[in-house]
Amino acid sequence: MSIRETCEWLQSLDFPREIRESTWLFPTIETVHVLALVVVVGSISMIDLRLLGFANRERSVTDLTAEALPWTWSAYAVAAIAGLLMFSSKAATYYENLPFRLKMLCMAIAGINMVVFHAVIARKQSDWDFGRPPAHVKLVGGVSLAMWIAIVAAGRWVGFTTV
Amino acid sequence: MISEFCDWLASTPLSQLFQDLQWFVPLVQTVHILSIAVVVFAIGMLAFRQLGLSANRQSLSAMAQYFLPWVWSALAVLLCTGILLTITEPARELLNDAFRVKMVMVAILAVITRVLQLGLKRDPTFWTSGDVRLLAGRSIAVTSLVLIVCIVTAGRWIAYI
Repeated sequence: MSIRETCEWLQSLDFPREIRESTWLFPTIETVHVLALVVVVGSISMIDLRLLGFANRERSVTDLTAEALPWTWSAYAVAAIAGLLMFSSKAATYYENLPFRLKMLCMAIAGINMVVFHAVIARKQSDWDFGRPPAHVKLVGGVSLAMWIAIVAAGRWVGFTTV
Repeated sequence: MISEFCDWLASTPLSQLFQDLQWFVPLVQTVHILSIAVVVFAIGMLAFRQLGLSANRQSLSAMAQYFLPWVWSALAVLLCTGILLTITEPARELLNDAFRVKMVMVAILAVITRVLQLGLKRDPTFWTSGDVRLLAGRSIAVTSLVLIVCIVTAGRWIAYI
């Protein structure tokens, strides 16, 4: 089954049809998505600004991530579930939508960037936990911040191109 | 009367210009949402700290000194982007009940956040010295959390009602 056919199968199921045909379900799920994504973006951007050396430099990255990342991950799970439900309601339309594809691409880049951070860069975190971060740490923070801004922009753009 | 004001505002050259730019509303909304992210996360972190539900080991006062300047800057951006969106589509906002309720809630949130800040400025332990202040501080925290959820909800529903 091609991706397109999978999307058509998905949106033919009962719960996507209910979301599509209801007047209040989609806006409600969308509201949950927005509430969750602002927590994701708010918490990640605090870490990113620290990795860039723009803010909170007197505090350790270890402390900041310990405080913020539990929020990031719980909110991410909620945003992803709500996002999947919205996607399912018009899966084939979203699959064809350019802003939606760009958003998925940016999320993939942000994901790879995060894996690189945790698996490679965070290993020597004690070297730069306080004070000015080195260039490669700034790069990871910058890529993350840029991707999350792009994800929000593309997400908003999706709403204007799939009516 | 508000309806006539909306018609007039929508007919101004500035509003017409914004309306003609197809990318304008999504772009401004994107900046608006990014600023909401700052406000929601910052207010949320402070509120959970006050309620004793935070992993943060800093004092409330130290957290407020970091987060509240971000909140005020983001609120300024929200005001500007909100005005731009209202100029572009006056009737969509000003005649909308969700928008009106949202504005009242934003005003209350700004006031109680300022009260929180003024208390901490007077004394870093202001909201923890004494049972009455502890209760008042926690009431501010709970109210803030309820308000940010309701504000975001009302904001999204402007598009639907």
